[in-house]
Amino acid sequence: MKFVAWFRRFEENFIALLLVTMTLLVFVEVIMRFVFNAGIHWVQEVTLYCSAWLVLLGASWGVREGAHIGVDAFVKVLPPNQRKWLTLIALSLCLFYCCLFMYGSWVYLSKLARIGIEMEDLPIEKWKTMSVLFIGFVLLVIRFLEVGWKVLTNQQDGFHLADEAKESMQLADELKKQ
Amino acid sequence: APIELKFSHVVAENTPKGQMALKFKELVDQRLPGKVEVKVYPNSQLYGDGKELEALLLGDVELISPSLSKFKKYTKKLQVFDLPFLFQDMAAVERFQASSAGQELLSSLESKGLVGLGYLHNGMKQLSANEPLYTPADAKGKKFRIMSSDVLAAQFEAVDAVPLKKPFSEVFTLLQTRAIDGQENTWSNIYSKKFFEVQASITESNHGVLDYLIVTSAEFWHELPDDIRSELKAALDEAVAHGNQIAAQKAEKDKANIMASNRSEIISLSPEQRQQWVEAMKPVWQQFESEIGKNIIDAAVAANQ
Amino acid sequence: MTTFTLFILLFVCMIIGMPIAIALGFASMTTILLFSNDSLASVALKLFEATSEHYTLLAIPFFILSSAFLSTGGVARRLINFAMDSVGHIRGGLAMASVLACMLFAAVSGSSPATVAAIGSIVIAGMVRSGYPESLAAGVIANAGTLGILIPPSIVMLVYAAATEVSASRMFMAGFIPGIMMGTILMIAIYIVARVKNLPAQAYPGCKKWAISALKATGGLMLIVIVLGSIYGGVASPTEAASVAAIYAFLVSVYGYRDIGPIKHQAWQNEGENIGSAVARNLMLFPVSIFKSVSDPEVRQVLKDAAKVSIMLLFIIANAMLFAHVLTTERIPHMIAESIVAYGLQPWAFLVVVNILLLIAGNFMEPSAILLIMAPILFPIATQLGIDPIHLGIIMVVNMEIGMLTPPVGLNLFVTAGITGKSMGWVIKACLPWLSLLLFFLILITYIPQISLFLPEYFDRLNGY
Ligand code: NA
Ligand code: NA
Repeated sequence: MKFVAWFRRFEENFIALLLVTMTLLVFVEVIMRFVFNAGIHWVQEVTLYCSAWLVLLGASWGVREGAHIGVDAFVKVLPPNQRKWLTLIALSLCLFYCCLFMYGSWVYLSKLARIGIEMEDLPIEKWKTMSVLFIGFVLLVIRFLEVGWKVLTNQQDGFHLADEAKESMQLADELKKQ
Repeated sequence: APIELKFSHVVAENTPKGQMALKFKELVDQRLPGKVEVKVYPNSQLYGDGKELEALLLGDVELISPSLSKFKKYTKKLQVFDLPFLFQDMAAVERFQASSAGQELLSSLESKGLVGLGYLHNGMKQLSANEPLYTPADAKGKKFRIMSSDVLAAQFEAVDAVPLKKPFSEVFTLLQTRAIDGQENTWSNIYSKKFFEVQASITESNHGVLDYLIVTSAEFWHELPDDIRSELKAALDEAVAHGNQIAAQKAEKDKANIMASNRSEIISLSPEQRQQWVEAMKPVWQQFESEIGKNIIDAAVAANQ
Repeated sequence: MTTFTLFILLFVCMIIGMPIAIALGFASMTTILLFSNDSLASVALKLFEATSEHYTLLAIPFFILSSAFLSTGGVARRLINFAMDSVGHIRGGLAMASVLACMLFAAVSGSSPATVAAIGSIVIAGMVRSGYPESLAAGVIANAGTLGILIPPSIVMLVYAAATEVSASRMFMAGFIPGIMMGTILMIAIYIVARVKNLPAQAYPGCKKWAISALKATGGLMLIVIVLGSIYGGVASPTEAASVAAIYAFLVSVYGYRDIGPIKHQAWQNEGENIGSAVARNLMLFPVSIFKSVSDPEVRQVLKDAAKVSIMLLFIIANAMLFAHVLTTERIPHMIAESIVAYGLQPWAFLVVVNILLLIAGNFMEPSAILLIMAPILFPIATQLGIDPIHLGIIMVVNMEIGMLTPPVGLNLFVTAGITGKSMGWVIKACLPWLSLLLFFLILITYIPQISLFLPEYFDRLNGY
């Protein structure tokens, strides 16, 4: 359990770090160009890979944080029992999706590793920096299994989708307090 | 069932490359009816610039034609085509590509699972900028967009310019907003991407070549029956000759169109001015001699006659 | 058959509550498995390509980050004060100032519900206190808040640019005049209502007070200059401008206004402090504020919120690109376009269809998702009919604005209901008269392309082509 708690903290910090790194890299590139009349040739590739890591690692983190959006108007009007089974079906489709991607990225990454292609601007083998494709879907599988267990045991009644309106309301409440 | 052969490329159908692909399909339909079926996917419909080589290795397309600089992670030898002022004109490029050294380069990719089938021309590169470039000194301190290539970076550093790596899709905006000062490209690209509208001058430097390599995967190619393979190769050679002819005409036409537009000044270099550029950039050859191989560079120089 | 499978799968997956991103990916993946020879490896490659090869898309997380910093701080409050001192003395001025404040906030933020929340939570209560009917206050704000996605920067426009490969800068330019126009239409309507209903005006604040509130708002207003200036002035691409905006928004809210973060509420000049020591202290505070931000809970929360929204959007976009890939390889948009052209549908009739389709979709779904599914289909048709892609983009954005005000899924309705504590029915009724203005505006935008195209074309001419 200690590892799980540690991993969650690490995950959150890492994702924040990726976002900050991306922003700073592009910012520094602009400054370099205007103030120092110079360019850093690897910045663009690293920024784009950071973005891939952010999205693919973040997808599973987002499931826990309730970041993903969906249409839950229909599911919400169903009686609890039907809703539970429908959610479980939806979850198994999600797992199916993840497994297909896990398999696909495994084949892809092992081919890249066998040929040994490097990144464009950095001397790092591509399969290593692209491994997030596989890792991301493994994490997503774990997270969906967790949600599935919670739904099955009635600890949670749906996907825990994002509610942008509710979030904006929290913001409004905070502003009102000030 | 016929063998399916997917030809994927990233440009429009009316370009020389697009025409070449269609010609290839037509020839294969004629000569190998019912045996091979070619499907052409233009405009990055299947894969973009960055991923088509990997898709080829995964066996999802059978034929692609990326620009030569896309192979820098597969072999260092093809960098020879990026060296500045190595070839006098397109005729020299063709002689080199047809020579034994040029043909050997095609097989330099085998260890990475690729087979080169032929070269397709785009043309000679010109230099464009927001101020006239007569001598290397004019380029000093200016920011030039380059493709991802160590040779091209070294080429601009040799004249004290600043090479910036930027995606092709952003070049127009960056030139227009003057975030970068200039770029190098063929007449066709300068015309089709409208770079001439946002650049004050184009120096007719012919300093380098921008060609494509037609590749297939070794796995696919070697598993083909011998007779079909040789028939395909013959059809491809014919299609490439057809495409190259269109490319040459198009380069001329696009150059004329740019001149007629009066949007940017076209600068022809005097022999002395050109010599200054050659002297400034030629040290780049030595820099990459060990990676490319001296014999290959020598063969290229010899092709100038 | 392929098309049918693709859309039925997508529809069913969404109805049973799957996250939209996965519904899109799942429908595409399954269709590929069933009907095409592509390997799973190549689909994985395609997804990685979608997340790692679109430089323009990086502007989305950056603008979200800058918007997140500005929404938490007192930027909104300062913009409201400035707007109030600018137009508050006209009859109905408080309501007009609220619209102006929404426009200003829209010019620093890329999202509509954020605009309603940031401005509405303060001004609705203020208007009611000054004797405005609450329904008028709520209706005006819910409508003006939709300008968040029309006035640049706009997340929705970036998504459109990504889906259709039109230039994001040009889209931003195109939204500028329509945004100001819609704001002005709202203000004129308010003025007329104010005359009829004899609504109050504020006292004229005087030049000095105006100048002070303008100065205080400068920190926020400067962001408008940075974003628009760098794009139009030729300093940077939208992506680069967005990263500068994010860094600037962090500095302004943490160091400039000190509304959040490690040096929260520390004055620029303490009482009785002389200028010299104040300067020295503030210089010292600069590195402190930056290094302590790393562990500051408020700054971290902003980062986390921004990451959540960015990941959600980018993951949808990546999967939507798979969806678009299936559409294009099956040549579905192409076929629809051909049959529409063959059928002889006129551009104006096509635009009617587009508007109706988008208005219906807007009732059920979130704007970015609608754009990502519809744009690849509508875009080739519009091109065939000779409709400018930028114009089509603005039409789509205005439709998305209206979608935010229509039940059952209307983000601005939810937020307004939350702020006022009223029922959804009440909010819908309050919005209705103003919504009709927005519909009228949609007709203007649809049939007068020049409103959208004037500015981008003017800049083209300015540059001489
Ligand atoms: Na905005
Ligand atoms: Na709606």
